[in-house]
Amino acid sequence: MKGQEWYQADEVAAEYEDKRFSGGGRLIDRREKEAVLDALGPLDGKRVLEVACGTGRFTVLCAQRGADITGMDISAAMLREGRAKARDVGVDDHLAFMRGDAARLPFPDDYFDAVFAMRFFHLADTPAKFLSEMARVSKADVFFDTFNRYSTRSLYNSLLPMGSRLYSTSEVHDLLRGAGLTLRSDAHDFVLPYGFYRKLPGWLADPIRDADVAVGDTPFGDHLASVSYWHAHV
Amino acid sequence: MKRDLMDIICCPLDKHDLDLDVESEEDDEVVAGTLTCTDCGETYPIEDGIPNLLPPDMREETPA
Repeated sequence: MKGQEWYQADEVAAEYEDKRFSGGGRLIDRREKEAVLDALGPLDGKRVLEVACGTGRFTVLCAQRGADITGMDISAAMLREGRAKARDVGVDDHLAFMRGDAARLPFPDDYFDAVFAMRFFHLADTPAKFLSEMARVSKADVFFDTFNRYSTRSLYNSLLPMGSRLYSTSEVHDLLRGAGLTLRSDAHDFVLPYGFYRKLPGWLADPIRDADVAVGDTPFGDHLASVSYWHAHV
Repeated sequence: MKRDLMDIICCPLDKHDLDLDVESEEDDEVVAGTLTCTDCGETYPIEDGIPNLLPPDMREETPA
């Protein structure tokens, strides 16, 4: 698994959010949170699992919206950050964090109403196995994102030390079929890759993002997008 | 971890129920203890209040 050791380090965990989601990165954070909330719908009283929850960016948000949520990650350092955040905002009574392996989830079949994973499949060495496990423990929704093969992400990827697994649309459709999932909706965004936004100061990020969305809204937009959001159903 | 998490979690290997052994508890949080599979007998530690349900083969390479 890519990043397995990297994300275990306390320093990496402590700086993770500041590094990725400040400046232009906050636009990414906002778009991702919107994607998760749209897919999951009303959360009050829903049983939700987040796989590879990291520092709990979405876990805490969902708990604030009333979900009974479990956040699972491989890294204790990342989970400690998440737990501190949950305590700060006072949602730790309906949120639980644990360490676990996404390929062997410690939950019974069909336990959750919704299962999701963000920024996970680009690190996945065995995506079919992971998606099948997510489908097994969900009785309704499964939601995740991917980075696209035929996009600016390919170029950006070649510059990264860790690299990412990139997916074509047909690969994702095959994965969904293999896991017994039906696609409900998909959205494609970010003609410019995340790494580009992270380099931008906040004031410059907004107009560039507007231009990005405008290109994304053209008939070619979906084909140019570097990120896709997939909302499937069991 | 809270005790009611026991209603959700199971052994990652064979999905059987787990038994909770509490070593220390603060307020209503289990801070340290072990979870033992009622079927295969594999044990999973609770470390610093966070249950570690990584299967044994992954535990070694991913220290807390």
